[in-house]
Formats: sequence, C-alpha cells, structure tokens
Amino acid sequence: MYAFVFRLTSMIVALALPMAAHAATVAIDVRGFDGKPLPGAVVTIETPKAPAVTVRGPYMIEQRDIAFQPHVLIVPVGATVGFPNRDRVRHHVYSFSKTKKFDLKLYGQEDARTVLFDRPGVVPLGCNIHDSMSGFVFVTATPFAALTDQAGHVSITGVPAGTGTVRVWHPSIRAPGSTASQPIDVAATGFATTFVLHR
Amino acid sequence: MSLRWPRFRHLRTKLSVLYASLFAVTLVLLAVVAQVMIWTHARDSVRQELVTSGSVYDRLWSLRSQSLIASADLLSRDFGFRAAVASGDRPTIASALANISNRAEVTAAFVVDQDGQVTGPSGALAATVARFPFAVPGGRRDAVVVVAGQVYRLIMSPVMAPMQVGWVVFAVRLDSMEMQGLERLSAIPLIATIMRSDGAGRWHAADRSVGSNAAVDDLVEASRSSRTLATLNLSTGRAFAIAKPLAGLTNRPQAAILIRYPLNAALTPYLPLQAGIALAGLAGLILVVLGSRRLAMGIAGPIAALDAAARALEEGSRAHIVVKGRDEISRLAASFDRMSAGILERENRITHLAFHDVLTGLPNRTFFRQSLDQAILQVRRAGGGIAVLCLDLDRFKGVNDTLGHPVGDALLKAIGTMLSEVAPDGLVSRLGGDEYAVILSGQFDADRPRVLAQSILDMMRQPVVADGHHIATAVSIGIAIGPVDGEDADELLKNADLALYLAKEDGRGVFRFFEPALDAAARWRRQVELDLREAIQAGQFVLNYQPVFDLKADRIGGFEALVRWHHPERGIVPPAEFIPIAEDTGLIIAIGEWVMQEACRQAMHWPEHIRVAVNVSPLQFRNSGLQAIILQALAHSGLAPDRLEIEITESVFLDGEGPVIALLHTLRAMGIRVALDDFGTGYSSLSYLRSFPFDKIKIDRSFITSIATDPSAAAIVRAIVDLAAALDMETTAEGVEDTGQLDLLRGEGCGNIQGYLFSRPVESGRIAGLLENRISRAA
Repeated sequence: MYAFVFRLTSMIVALALPMAAHAATVAIDVRGFDGKPLPGAVVTIETPKAPAVTVRGPYMIEQRDIAFQPHVLIVPVGATVGFPNRDRVRHHVYSFSKTKKFDLKLYGQEDARTVLFDRPGVVPLGCNIHDSMSGFVFVTATPFAALTDQAGHVSITGVPAGTGTVRVWHPSIRAPGSTASQPIDVAATGFATTFVLHR
Repeated sequence: MSLRWPRFRHLRTKLSVLYASLFAVTLVLLAVVAQVMIWTHARDSVRQELVTSGSVYDRLWSLRSQSLIASADLLSRDFGFRAAVASGDRPTIASALANISNRAEVTAAFVVDQDGQVTGPSGALAATVARFPFAVPGGRRDAVVVVAGQVYRLIMSPVMAPMQVGWVVFAVRLDSMEMQGLERLSAIPLIATIMRSDGAGRWHAADRSVGSNAAVDDLVEASRSSRTLATLNLSTGRAFAIAKPLAGLTNRPQAAILIRYPLNAALTPYLPLQAGIALAGLAGLILVVLGSRRLAMGIAGPIAALDAAARALEEGSRAHIVVKGRDEISRLAASFDRMSAGILERENRITHLAFHDVLTGLPNRTFFRQSLDQAILQVRRAGGGIAVLCLDLDRFKGVNDTLGHPVGDALLKAIGTMLSEVAPDGLVSRLGGDEYAVILSGQFDADRPRVLAQSILDMMRQPVVADGHHIATAVSIGIAIGPVDGEDADELLKNADLALYLAKEDGRGVFRFFEPALDAAARWRRQVELDLREAIQAGQFVLNYQPVFDLKADRIGGFEALVRWHHPERGIVPPAEFIPIAEDTGLIIAIGEWVMQEACRQAMHWPEHIRVAVNVSPLQFRNSGLQAIILQALAHSGLAPDRLEIEITESVFLDGEGPVIALLHTLRAMGIRVALDDFGTGYSSLSYLRSFPFDKIKIDRSFITSIATDPSAAAIVRAIVDLAAALDMETTAEGVEDTGQLDLLRGEGCGNIQGYLFSRPVESGRIAGLLENRISRAA
C-alpha cells in the first residue's frame, strides 16, 4: 500500500490586502511525486464559513478528437452537464463511479445528452468504444475549487480566514479517492503554500 | 612390463593371429573414431536442435502468455464485467470468472481490486494472487509461482473503468498435461519437465520424473544468464538438456522448465550407421581371417611340409616333398628333397654295408642272425620248418697261401654266386672267412636240406674258376633242422656248427646232419675245457718220459716228454682226449709252457748226454711268446740248450712258412735242436726239408708197424733214412714194438728207436732205474 504524506514545505505570509478583513486569497502550488508542477489537479478548500454553491451553467464536456474536452470539469452539486459529441464517430460515454452512475449509449453529433450530478465526488468518465478516452467530472460542494494550471498553480479568492482543509485530487494519487488533504489556517491576509505529493 | 607374444606351435596360426589382430586393432580404432564422430555429431546436432527447440519453446511460451493475456484482456474489457467490478458486484464477478475459466482453459481466474481484495476461488493460491499485481516489477504481466507444491503460471490484466479498478488474474497450473501440450508442438521428440526450487538452490521435478541432481541445479542456475546446454546423467539414461527458468513474483525464479533430449533418442538415427560399421567390420574381420589364413597357409604350408619332412627324415623315413613355385621356399624344398634323398641313399648304403658282406654282396653274419630270428618267429607263428646249413671251405687257407689273396677273394665270390644259384629258395649268407650259411624256412620238402647239401657238394666236384684259375675245392656242410635241433637261433646255429665239425672230422667234403650225440660230445668238450683250466691252476698235469734209444751208441740218448692229466674224478685222461681240445681252446699254450718248464727242470737230474724232447704245437708257434718261454725254461733250470730238442709237425707250416722258419733259425742259433715229428703222413712235403735243416726226422709209426710185412713201407723207411743221411739229419723210428722191426731198422741205418719194445713212457721217478737197467742190459 502507498503512504501519502502531505507536507507543508513553506509558508509565506502575504502582505495585508486592502480587502475585507475576513476574505483572503489562497495561492497553492502543487508538485507531483517527481517534484515537477502537477497540472490538472483539483484543489478544494473546505471551510465552515463557506457559502453554498450556486449552479450557473451551462456545463459541458465535449467529445472531440476521440477525447473528453476538457479533461477535468469542476461542477457544483446539482449541475447538469451536457456531453455533446463533436466527432464524426459515435461515442458511448459511461461512468461506474459511486458518485454518479450513468450510461449514455451510442450517440452521434445530432444527439444531445445531459447528466445531472446531484452528489459531490469524482466521476471518472470513459467511452466504451474508445478505451483511450478518459475524463473526470469533479462534483464539488464548496465554491472554493480550482484546477491547477500548467505551472501546477492555483489561486482561489474570497476564502474566509480561519481554519479549513485543503484537498488535492489527481488520478495519479494513489490514495483512497485519489485525494490528499491537509488542514490549513487561512490568514486574513491570504495564504500561500506549495504541496508536494509524496509516496 | 613387457608384453609377451604367445608361443604358437604353428607358423600359420601365428601369421593368422598377427594379421587378424592388426586388422582387429585397426577396426576397433576406426570404430572408436566413428563412434566419437557420431557422438560428437549427435551432440552437435542435438545441441543445435535443442537450441532451436529452446527458441521454439520460448516462442510457444510467450504465445501461450499472449493467448492467456488476450483472454484476460477480453474479460477485463468487457463492459458488463467492468461494471460489475466497478460496482463491487461480487456474485456477478465470481460467475463471470468461473465462466472464463472454462472458456479460456485456465485453472482458476481471480479479480484483485486496488485494495488487494481478491474475488475468486478461495485457498492458498488466492493469497499469492492477491500479492501478484502489486509485487511483479513494472511492465511484466505474468509470473510463475509455487503454491503448496504446485506450479502455477499467473497472468494479469488490468480492469479499467476507465480508471483502473483492479486486475483480472488467471492462474494456469503447469502440470504434465501442460508440458505434453508443449512437447507435441516441438519438431523433435523432447521431454519437458517442470522443475521447482526448494528455495535453497536445489531443483526438483514437479512430477518427480527427474531425481535431485546437482547437474540440473547447475544447469538451471547457469541458464538464468544465458542459454546453456548440459549433459545429464539421469536414472533414465544420459540426456542433453536445456533449462528455461521462469520468472516468479520477484526476479528470482521459483520454477523452471527442463527440456531434455535422451541420448538414446539422439543416437537412434545413427543406429543403422553403427550397425553398418559393426557389420562391415565383422565381415572385414572374417575376410581378413580367411585371407590371412590362406596367405599363411601359402607361406606356412610349405614350411610345415618341410618341417614334417625333416621330422620324417629324423625318424628314418623319407617323405617326398614337392612345393610348386619359383620362390625361395620352393627352392629350399627342392634342395631339401635332394638332400634327404642323398641322406637316405647313403643311409641305405651304410645299412647295406652293415648287413652285407662287401666282398660277395651276400648278407653278413648280423643279417643272417636277424633273418634266422625272424624265420624262427615266423615258423612259430605260421608253422612250417626251418633248416640251417653251415658250410666251410676245406683247406681254403692253402688257396690264399699258394695263389694269393685276390684269387682267394675271387673264389669266395664265385662260391657265393654259385650258392645263391643252387639255393634260390634259401637265404645264403657269408658268415666270415670261408664260412657260409643257408637258411631254408617256411614250407619246404622234408628232404630238401639233404638234396640241397648234396647238390652243393656235386657242384663243388668241378673245379671252380676264379680269377682265371681252375681251383679244385670242397666244402663241408653241417645241417640242423628246426625246431627239432634247436628252439632258438643260437642253438640251431651251434648245432649246425657241431654237424659241420663232424663233417670236417669225417674227412671233409661231406655233409652231416646234427645228432643229439654231437651235442653230448660238444658238452663233453666244454666240460673238458673247464676242467683243463682248473687243471692248469691245480697242477694236475704230470710228465711221463719215453726213452729214445741211440742204436749207434747203444744207449738211451734222450727222453720224449709226454704230458699226462691226473683228473681228480676220472683218473688218467689220455692226451688224445684233451690235447685237441686244448689246441682248439688255446689252453695248449699254457699247458705247453708248463711242460717246457717241467721237462727242462727234470732233465737237469739226468746224465749230461741225455736230451729231453718236448712237443710244440702249431698254436704255440703262432703265439709270439714261444721264444721267451723256452729261454725262461732254460734259464730257470740251467739246462744246456743243446740238451733240449723241440718236436714240431709239418702243420706248423700251414699258416705260412716264413715266420716259422725264422723262429726255428733263431732257436737253432741258441743251440736248441729241432726235430720234425710224424714225418711221412699228412701233407709231408719235401720242400720243408729244404727250407730248414732239421736236426732229426722222426719216422711216423704207421710205416714202422708194417715195415716187417710190407716191402713198400720198408722201402719208404729206407728212402727217408737215406734222405736224412744225405741231408745230415738224424732219424728216429717211432712205435717200434718187436725185435724184428728193430733188426730191420738197424739194417736200414736208422739212428734211434722209440717204442714199447724198449720202454713205455715212464714216470720221472723211474728214469734213474731205467737208465741203470738199460746200461746193465746193454752191457
């Protein structure tokens, strides 16, 4: 079994922002096992003071060029996601996840398919025809969730100061739910840290 | 250590064995080389085949892996199955696994989820399967493990949904069946065996078909780095083998496949070749044995023949030997043949000489004896009769003396030829000198011996022509008839000799048959001979003396010494009985010596005018010691030589005149007187009187006895006396018995008389009285 240690390597106290004293910005850099920036990881911050999520929409994951676009889509709980097929071939999108099981039997460009994600969690997506196709719908209950960019960086604004939990999700993390978590204490002036994933 | 070449009795065996051995050695070497080459070739080709087979096995192994992986993948990608795994629907998973187990022919199928939970058949295997996906190094999808003594091949396939949610794991038991499947796919008859490690470096066959073997252990260990070929000594026989270690959960293999190729199977294709070499070798050996035997016979045959011929020659016979060809051996054989012929011819000649008389060519005495022995045996076996005729020429010595030896030899030869002609049915032999013998044997007429003897005598009546001389001769023949006259050759021959003796006694020129009386006489002679020898030793002889009266001086002029034998049992033995025997046996010489000594000794007691006369026999004359004996007698006694008178008969001249006359002259020169005894009888030849001047002639008594009644006797006496007077010799008349004779003799002018008229021989003791009496009577 793998042991994952989530370690805080540095903490930089940012300069006081001219914002309201109870809302701060959290900047996090995520690095993989190899020490390199890890893009495409979902970072969420859970805090008791977080407001409820709101569904705005529309949310969509296209099937284009025999791939899911985007690869990872973060949606609030209760969101309905469309799976438009932009390829000439047909796709059979499914998920066996506990969060949301669905099975969109073969459909083409002319067919519109939507799925309601009513529970938080990760929903791996696959295409029964094309094994290489892989995608994720990240259903979150907190508004503070973002995807790391190419530099493995994520910046989340409006996070209330105080204690909370940072969770990093990425398929490569070999832990239950592919998630690593770490409690944090967000200062009013903001919070910045770097997470390095360790085996 | 030296190798000793066995000793052979025959050259041909030696050659055969030598050639055959050399060829056999060559064959064995060839066979060994061939065997080594076959083995090397077999090994190389098997190595090649095994290496190829190893690659094929690798290929088969991976094909099987791919096939299993494909089956696992098929399952793991099945949408429904993935749905079941993703949703943790265990009953569905288990049924799907059972289904695929049957379909893909795997021993057991499992699903292992990301947390290591196993779904599938429970048991010891499940625990290993649970570790399998997490334990194998990255990239590998298969492994071979040993669980509870069983070897399993594990294959895994990830289950993606689409993220990986677990693995499908297939377990295939590697058993004999599995291996046989592999074996069937191979082009050559290989045996594949699954080996498992005991963890300590030792390897065991899962099915126990291969025992624990260090060579196997080494082979497997070596095969981990590179393909290695080994030769194993297994209980089932030698085998070439390679091993294929099978990767386990870790890199250290727990199992391996041992692929072997039994040497017997590898060498099987060469069996015809080996059999061919063996058969060809055997056939070659037989041919060489036959051929070398034939060659050896060619070489050794003539040598063996030579050997046999040499042996035969050694044993006295001769084997004619012919060796064809023009080589050394045939030349040797030819030389040997000539040589053996020469040897045999010379031997025959020698044998002939040994058994034949050179002069006449007749069988000799030895041959005669052997023939007689054989004839006697033959008669004993087959019956019939046997007769031996002994012949002796009468007076042959005279022929030699008068005509010479060449003529004598010619005569002997002529007589031999004549005898052979007259007795074609008998075996004529020359026994020596003038003696011949004829053997008649087998079936012959009872009268035949007599007829033959008579015809021989008749033949001899004509003078025989020898060397140009006509010689009148005669033979005496003695005949003995077997087996009446003798059981064996000695007796027959002795009796024939006795008969011959009788014939000679009876006047020669006659034949006599043996009679038993002859044998008695012969025995008597032998007894007398024995007694005579004793008599000489014991002094049984005495001398009597008969006076010789000198008519002119009218007194006794001398005494003739006469020997008498007082035999202790028979009394006085007359001289006529023993003197001839003493003459024949040579005893006369010893007796004569004693007489000479005794007479001289006695005479010394007599008056000086009285002489003593001693008879000397021809045998004494032939003996060279006579002169010495006389001198010794005179010296011992001291008697004057002129008082000794020796009396000889004409027979002393029969053996040749010259030496006798020389001796007589010597004696005369010493002063000894010599008288010629018994004159007028026998061969009386006047030539003797010319050759030696005798002192006295003694006229034989036969003339004296009839002198008074027969005028011719008186005339002869007168002539002798006149002749003696003319030659200046004295005369003595012997056997004068009455005065009439005395008066006539006195009238004729005879000088001396001797006889009973005057006195018988007297003993020495009476001589003195006799002298006195005569003197007084004369006075």
